[in-house]
Amino acid sequence: MDFAVIFVIAVALGFDYVNGFHDAANSIATVVSTRVLTPRIAVVWAAFFNFVAFLVFGTAVASTIANDVVVQSVLSIGVVFAGLIGAIAWDLITFWLGLPTSSSHALVGGIAGAAVAKAGFGVLITEGLRKIGVFIVLSPLIGLAVGLLITLAIYWVFHRNRNIERLNRGFRRGQLVSAAAFSLGHGANDAQKTMGVILALLIASGHLAPGSDTPLWVVLSAHTAIALGTLTGGWRIVKTMGSKITRLQPVGGVAAESGAAITLFATSIGGIPVSTTHTITGGIVGVGAARRLSAVRWGVAGRVVWAWVLTIPGAFAVAWLTMQAVDLLS
Amino acid sequence: MDRRAAFFLAAAVVCAALVPVSEGFAWVAATVSAVYLVLALGSWLDARSHRRL
Repeated sequence: MDFAVIFVIAVALGFDYVNGFHDAANSIATVVSTRVLTPRIAVVWAAFFNFVAFLVFGTAVASTIANDVVVQSVLSIGVVFAGLIGAIAWDLITFWLGLPTSSSHALVGGIAGAAVAKAGFGVLITEGLRKIGVFIVLSPLIGLAVGLLITLAIYWVFHRNRNIERLNRGFRRGQLVSAAAFSLGHGANDAQKTMGVILALLIASGHLAPGSDTPLWVVLSAHTAIALGTLTGGWRIVKTMGSKITRLQPVGGVAAESGAAITLFATSIGGIPVSTTHTITGGIVGVGAARRLSAVRWGVAGRVVWAWVLTIPGAFAVAWLTMQAVDLLS
Repeated sequence: MDRRAAFFLAAAVVCAALVPVSEGFAWVAATVSAVYLVLALGSWLDARSHRRL
């Protein structure tokens, strides 16, 4: 394997590592804010379930990223590199602006932008992009609906229970399970996006035949990178996230995380790359909406909508420019 | 109209609008749309009963 391929694989795994670093907060913020676990133990908990996700889910999302975004003949080391740079740069720009961006959508936009810069709009696979586009809108709405329905079901089942102390204790323990489920879904969906990029790169560089399955070493390295990201950096962001959502009670945490986890499980099995951040935001909004609409932080929800609109075109543009630079240099 | 019911109704409309473009996954968009429609109706009835109390 030549140096260029190894270098781009390292960049892809770096992208995965940063993803774990940032998104750990989504899965364990409620466990930390309700003091069920300390931040350090919580990140170990999340990292473990990020890693073991490969044992539960297949590689359908990886296959979608590698085969259903752009035609394989246009993929080259330069295109994959420019796509990754587009996604990473867009993530950093939106992080600086405070927009809750989706690394997944940035990756899709980045790969599409780099491919278009190389060979025009004809290389885009409309069907695959349409599927991804539809679920950009649907996944938070599904997370919201499932989170809301779980909240209502919990209220209905326990409304006669007067022992609030005992009930809260039970849901605090339940958060361990729901946070683990969400981390499992996060590991499954997000690590597979990196696997898809590496798979595309290996096919483009001739190391694998078109249509090949994801090799085990790619699966293991992607899950290791996301788990290491969660383990080493997550707890610092969790401190902030945890204090921002203290209004969420243990029962709400269980409902929001379960709603998001169910959405992530279903989309991972269906091979659909979705944003874990948007999905958990939908779940939290669903819990708030079960009480009243004013309980929902609409500012956050509005920023998510902006992230929907901006991420793919933004990453597309950065990757397009990067590809022009790669072409000039080579 | 109750704000929550209006929000759920808007979500149902958005999901319904996605049905024609969700080739292969139209049933997902249609099901989510139906769920939001039921939630909108339930929310509207809930708000109405509160107003009467």
